[in-house]
Amino acid sequence: MSAYDETRALNGLQSLDSQAIGAVYDQYFSEVYRYVRYRINDDVVAEDIASDVFMRLLEAVKKRQGPQSSLKGWLIATAAHAVNDHLRRHYRRPVEALSDALPDPGASVHSEVDTRERNRMVQSAYAQLTSEQQHVLALRFGQGYSVEETATHLKKNINAVKALQFRALAALQRQIGEVSYE
Amino acid sequence: MNKLYEVLEICLQEIEQGADIDTVLFRYPDLADELRPILEASVSARNRRVPAPSADVVRLNRARVLQHAARLRASKVRASQRIWIAALRRVVVTLAVVTALFVSGTGLVRAASTTIPGDNLYPVKRTWEDVLLLFTFNLQQRDALEVEHENERLQELHELFAEGRDADVDFAGLIMSQNGNKWIVSGIPVTISAQTEIRDQDIVTGSAVRVEGHTQSDGAVLADEIKLLPPDAKLPDGSDKHDDSDKELEEGSPKIEETEEPNSESRNESSIDKSGEKTDASSEESHNKDGNRDSSDDGGSHEGGDDSGGDSSSSEGGGD
Repeated sequence: MSAYDETRALNGLQSLDSQAIGAVYDQYFSEVYRYVRYRINDDVVAEDIASDVFMRLLEAVKKRQGPQSSLKGWLIATAAHAVNDHLRRHYRRPVEALSDALPDPGASVHSEVDTRERNRMVQSAYAQLTSEQQHVLALRFGQGYSVEETATHLKKNINAVKALQFRALAALQRQIGEVSYE
Repeated sequence: MNKLYEVLEICLQEIEQGADIDTVLFRYPDLADELRPILEASVSARNRRVPAPSADVVRLNRARVLQHAARLRASKVRASQRIWIAALRRVVVTLAVVTALFVSGTGLVRAASTTIPGDNLYPVKRTWEDVLLLFTFNLQQRDALEVEHENERLQELHELFAEGRDADVDFAGLIMSQNGNKWIVSGIPVTISAQTEIRDQDIVTGSAVRVEGHTQSDGAVLADEIKLLPPDAKLPDGSDKHDDSDKELEEGSPKIEETEEPNSESRNESSIDKSGEKTDASSEESHNKDGNRDSSDDGGSHEGGDDSGGDSSSSEGGGD
């Protein structure tokens, strides 16, 4: 298959056709990996989970429980579950020490801390968010999905997604503030 | 609050296209203080974007996934082969039993003919009934045979109750009454429990049903499952066929020689006594009923069987 054909891929999946499976993998592995890696700050773990998502796809297809329409939706949802499962089993606190140079409480994070340090703080803050907050930020800002596409993945209406992203960003900002004050 | 969310989304889209925070907030001075930290968080969130995986990672995991697919395909083939082998085995065993029944003569069959559920030779009796049906091609005779078999089920139940035995049973009949969880089906008390499976909705007094369950010491059948029978199902007509057991063997099988009855089944004597007592009354009754039935019964028998197999399929996405 030169151009990806989702319908043909779905049909081929049902019979575990290797060509169809390869096409699905080629189309979506990178996207799934980036989603998982955004949520879990570990290359090796992210790779394992992303790979596991496709194994789960094959197992589901074998049991005739695979996706009937949107492969992308199924894969991202499965990735979200896999990440949540991993985080529940391996809750981790930030392992890298934060800088001793703390900013003034009233000053902007961007102006007071260097980029690397800021990224660590943001990562630590992100890890403190709820699964749902992490998920919406991963879709909107990690994957760059539009609010409409995010709504499809979350199975919510657009207004709900707008409210959710506001609260998630507000929570992230609060956590960044708390992390920078520690 | 909705306005805040809408404005946030507008600002986010503009920042995505390259605008900076101060520029987008310039148009919303009344919301600037509230939105600034939110927009800064969005920039932080966006800056965390990760790159695509390396080519090695992609290649390695592609091979793993395809390898797993190959294993699943192989296991699927093995599973379907196992199903075929199991089905073939069942056919071979059935043929062997049928052959053994014919080859060994009717001694075994005669010994089994008076058994009741729970007896060692009872499966031989039921298999023999199926064999007789299989080789009865005349539709009226076939219908009569099915009715006889259903009568035999009821007779077996009476004997089980008389002996106070607990055994798995199944029988067909008409619901004569339904009193809470106590039903009467063709004269047999049936107890319905919370575990009784009744899938059909319109089972009422007068319905023809098949009851599966086990006998209890209180003289009732505790039902495991009750199924509605189709309109043309053959039901017992209340006649006793023990006196007809010899006749059935003669009609449905090759030439039979009289053999001695084995001593292993002690109840044979009691059943013969019962048969002797009932002979005069029931044979006349069964002839009358046969006569009445001829005009109304159509050919073709049906008995609900369980031959389920294969996968159940359901579609469900990865999300919940």
